[in-house]
Amino acid sequence: MPRVYVSSVIDAPASRVWERIRDFNALPRWHPRIRDSRIENGEPADRVGCVRDFHLQNGERIRERLLGLSDYDMFCTYAILESPMPITDYVATLRLTPITDGDRTFAEWTAEFECAAEAASDLVGGIGQNVFQAGFDSLKRQMAS
Amino acid sequence: MPKVIRSTVIDRPIDEVWGVLRDFNGHDRWHPVVADSEIERGQPSDRVGCVRRFHLRDGRELRELLLTLSDADTAYSYCLLETPIPLLNYVAHVRLAPVTDGDRTFWHWESRFDTPAGREQELATLVGREVYESGFTAIRAHLGQGAAS
Repeated sequence: MPRVYVSSVIDAPASRVWERIRDFNALPRWHPRIRDSRIENGEPADRVGCVRDFHLQNGERIRERLLGLSDYDMFCTYAILESPMPITDYVATLRLTPITDGDRTFAEWTAEFECAAEAASDLVGGIGQNVFQAGFDSLKRQMAS
Repeated sequence: MPKVIRSTVIDRPIDEVWGVLRDFNGHDRWHPVVADSEIERGQPSDRVGCVRRFHLRDGRELRELLLTLSDADTAYSYCLLETPIPLLNYVAHVRLAPVTDGDRTFWHWESRFDTPAGREQELATLVGREVYESGFTAIRAHLGQGAAS
């Protein structure tokens, strides 16, 4: 099962970063590749089981279900329900951990999924760079300002 | 029951940091408060259940038992068996994680313990500063990274 792991350091307290990312409907506010997002059936965005339906800047549509959310451990786990990517069984977790030295944030983003063997390396690289690292880069910029 | 957590980022790849930290008997080579250390009964220092017997610079002796060691999780945990410092039921966890953004290492060190009544704050500060934070600084120096980061 291919696995993606990307981690970074964000120069802001974990509670501040968490405020930004815990909202499952807030991707367009911090991730540069996301154009719009809504939660289906008017549910609250922190209701475990809710589904976000969003579009990338290029118009592609993705639906994802919130599987787990913890304000105590500062993580969010979700699964892809529909996407244009040739993958199945995609489950990802975004997790924050405080760095006491300097009151910063250690951010980790992992995903596992199934796909055709020959596509795995491109998908792992693309998700890691274009989705996860791009998201962290954007958070680093936003939190610095 | 006090809980002490300290974490930092070491500006070296995780393999290098883990290469130093995974040796349960290696702390006398990098930690400034540890004068000497040996594993009892001649056991290998990566054998879970082994005991390290070591002395602080001031001569006091401690014994600690390796509870878990995982190369997969780059983590280990240990407990105090004997100590002249009143840290009771002391269990500590060390965990490293790669910071892929910059090929650095996140290092998390935490423990829980009991103390005599009224000494919680004093002993929590001692563990956090004299053991964990000074350990961070020492590893940076040991790996030739300098003080900053």
